[in-house]
Amino acid sequence: MSEQPVIELYNVYLNSRRGSPVFKDLSFELKPGETAFISGGAGSGKSSLVDLLIGRCFAETGSVSVFGTTLKKRLFRRSRRNLSRIGGVGGIFSLIPSMTVSENITFPLVLAGVGKSVRNERLFKMLTEFSLLKQASEYPPGLTRVENSLVQFARASVADQPLLMIDEPSAGLDKGTFERVVQYLVKASLSGRSMMILSSDELELPIPNMKRYRLEGGALV
Amino acid sequence: MTRVGFIIRELVNNLIRHPGTAFASFLSLTLILLLFDLFWVASGTSREFYRELLSDLEMEVFVAEETPDSLLSSLESRIIGTAGVKTVTFVSRDSARVRLQAMVGGDLLAGYDETNPLPRSFSLTFWPEQLNLADMDRIENELSGFLEVDRIYYSRRWLEKAETTRELIWQFGALLGLLILITGLVTTANNIRLMAGSRAVGFRQMQLLGAGSLFIALPLLIESFLLGGGAAAAGWALLKYGSGQVAFTQFTLIFPPNEQILWFCLALACLAVLSGYLGLRNQLKWR
Repeated sequence: MSEQPVIELYNVYLNSRRGSPVFKDLSFELKPGETAFISGGAGSGKSSLVDLLIGRCFAETGSVSVFGTTLKKRLFRRSRRNLSRIGGVGGIFSLIPSMTVSENITFPLVLAGVGKSVRNERLFKMLTEFSLLKQASEYPPGLTRVENSLVQFARASVADQPLLMIDEPSAGLDKGTFERVVQYLVKASLSGRSMMILSSDELELPIPNMKRYRLEGGALV
Repeated sequence: MTRVGFIIRELVNNLIRHPGTAFASFLSLTLILLLFDLFWVASGTSREFYRELLSDLEMEVFVAEETPDSLLSSLESRIIGTAGVKTVTFVSRDSARVRLQAMVGGDLLAGYDETNPLPRSFSLTFWPEQLNLADMDRIENELSGFLEVDRIYYSRRWLEKAETTRELIWQFGALLGLLILITGLVTTANNIRLMAGSRAVGFRQMQLLGAGSLFIALPLLIESFLLGGGAAAAGWALLKYGSGQVAFTQFTLIFPPNEQILWFCLALACLAVLSGYLGLRNQLKWR
């Protein structure tokens, strides 16, 4: 018996608000434990793909399923239930400015109703793993771009979210930090998490189980 | 408990991080509601003032000349049996003469010792709830139906004017009260809107992480509740304190009962939640 895909797009057509086509017959599948690296230039539809998967917009025709839930406009609340299972970094995902680094990282655990002792335990693990111990009580406006990215990675991992969506993983990172991020991505992949990495550049990532796609003319090639 | 703890912490953080906004909102709403409370007290006091004025109102029922004295006690019984009549006092011809003398300061009837031309009458007082035009007209009509009654007199025009004035005050007050209340609610909605607007990015991120609208809104809605209820209570406290510092000689300030004040504060708190939601809902839309 085959495993249920984490993401499944079938013959998706999507128009922009101005009416121009964004996706034309887009089909794509991401199985548990797999990584999809999707590259594409500016305006190729990377952000629209994220919007489609989190329920911020809906396909004109075709079907979009995330964790087995078909996302439909009239059932838009359903799509929001999936959000707690997605760890997002970059793009539309950013930090909550009114919360400290620690509060930002533990927020998915708060939503999941995890108790304080477990929360503190996981927080300490994340702060150590991403070298953020010193910044624990800082607020996002006081963080550097690198630190900001690292906090987002920590937040996307703290609740072992089964799907990681990373928009431009190398954006704003120096070479050393990017290498650490790549190591983290490898580790996440090996732990069985599914990942969707969106990038403008063709990055060489030594991630096992990774499939490469390119968004061109509204379809994945 | 985790989510509840988070909501409480967010509520406290809102107040600590934006003390100026919270304090300004509280102060402006308190002043607006103080105005409302003032009007409420003024309305209650003026109502009591009118009630006292009207309580002096009497009706004179003049007995027909041909009615023999033997029928007067039966007439008195029928008058006292009329709904709304509180007391009935018989005024004989001699008593009427004394009254007239007291009113004009001299005996106008000198020389009429044998044949006093003044009519016999009954002087009526009424229960407070009957002291209005409709009831007084009804009583007058009922009493006019008695054969022994010649004519009836009471200060109808004065009562009419008093009622019109009271009605005008009430209408103006209702309008002013409504205006003040709307101002208070709009102020709360606007304050919450501004507060929510400054946190729009955070709200969006919370939604992207899977937080529901109610979970995001609850700290601000609780804040609205506390703001509305607190400002209403503070308004009354200020007014009560102020009234204790001054004394009026012509009238006594009439405050609504404490139970009503409590319900008012609770209702205000609930209305503030509603206006807080109105100020917040745009930020909670999933776009």
